[in-house]
Amino acid sequence: MGVRSANLEMALGYDDGQGFEGVAEVCRLRLGDVAEGVVMGIPMDPLQLLADQERALVRMERAVALAGRLDAVGLGSLCAVVAGRGQGLAERVAPPVTTGAAATAWALWRNTHTLLEARPGARVAIVGSAGPVGGAVAALLRSDGVSVRVDHGRTARRLGLEALAGAEEAVADAQIVVGAGPTGASLPAEAVAPGAVLIDVAIPDTLVGTPARGVRVLAGEAVIPPPGWRAGGWGRLYQVFAGYGPTQVYACLIEPLVLAVAGRSEPFAQGRRLKPDAVVAFAEAAEALGFHPRLAQGWRGVPGRRLRVRRRRRDRLRAALVRGRGRG
Amino acid sequence: MSRLPDVDPQIWSKVREAFAEALGLDDDEVTLESTVIGELGAESLDFLDIAFRLERAFDIKIPRGGIEDAAREGVDDEDYEVDGVLTPTALTRLAEAMPEVPAEEFKAGLRTTEVPELFRVATFYNLVVHLMAQRLQAAAS
Repeated sequence: MGVRSANLEMALGYDDGQGFEGVAEVCRLRLGDVAEGVVMGIPMDPLQLLADQERALVRMERAVALAGRLDAVGLGSLCAVVAGRGQGLAERVAPPVTTGAAATAWALWRNTHTLLEARPGARVAIVGSAGPVGGAVAALLRSDGVSVRVDHGRTARRLGLEALAGAEEAVADAQIVVGAGPTGASLPAEAVAPGAVLIDVAIPDTLVGTPARGVRVLAGEAVIPPPGWRAGGWGRLYQVFAGYGPTQVYACLIEPLVLAVAGRSEPFAQGRRLKPDAVVAFAEAAEALGFHPRLAQGWRGVPGRRLRVRRRRRDRLRAALVRGRGRG
Repeated sequence: MSRLPDVDPQIWSKVREAFAEALGLDDDEVTLESTVIGELGAESLDFLDIAFRLERAFDIKIPRGGIEDAAREGVDDEDYEVDGVLTPTALTRLAEAMPEVPAEEFKAGLRTTEVPELFRVATFYNLVVHLMAQRLQAAAS
């Protein structure tokens, strides 16, 4: 049965607060005969996870032991942040530990290009560019020749971009906004121009308040698995609870599985630094297995071509009038 | 005016390393005066990582909300903030608790949610020194 990986996820409502160590298997996901991924639940709620990182670390180590033979370990949601973003767990377990950040960056990077095909030459703003995901996406887009603005001075200096006052200035005239901050709710919604598309991976969402009419907000890390993907009943339920519906998975879930199949001993992402090269390596390995990111709204995909800028009839008429006067 | 601490090189070296690793920076990018959010680019979850690394490096336990709790001690909620805006009493208390932050930054209208934006690396250095002294004191008694 090919290689095996585990993904550690926070599971709510498990902890009795008395030291109950109810680490449990949530579901199994299978990619043909190539790989099997098991999702393990860590019985701690966010506050417990954040308040006692050593305790969280002990439970994550226990989950890895319970999962059996593993070729890679991935960290979901808050598990990816506690205990040194994977570094604490990596000191305690044998398989490589990867945080999922490379997969998230891959999905954002590819999705931004999908949008750019529909909106050629659009200016892209990255919110959360000081973080590992935002920084890597900004670097990749910059090296692809995309017009990028970032919200943090240090990232701007590193990439040779114009230093701006912050997120509001960065998004002011952007047609595509990438929300890559880890904690979200950092940008007033009115800062985003009407007609712009926000591709978001922040939890909760990047915007504070309701965006202007015409601003579209899409999920940035939905992934379509290849035909050989088998989630089973629990797996589909897990995907639904994760918010992506029964037919999509979220990108960071597949990172340990891809790592295991690639046979790498070095994780794609661990700690605070995320090298653009690691995102490219992940992209090649994931796409070779048949995984592809897509822009999504809820459970459904949104093709990039549906997100072209539509000029209103009034604007077209005005443009025609101006042209007519020019001839006269 | 701010009052930066006289550093113990051994403690400073570990504090700087914790910040550099938690924020993906080179050591020389981290100075005592650096603002943790504005200059070093930390986001709220990064504070968690910084705390984890400092706790490990110094074998201490950093209480969540420790700095604000110290400023709030003995002050009723309504005397501390009104609709999220810090009162003059709270501003004075915070300025005392964070001498490394220039006094002019504790200005009227400052919101409780904006306090982390004032944090310097020195804020954490001072906290570590304080907690280590507490631990030594506890061991001695």
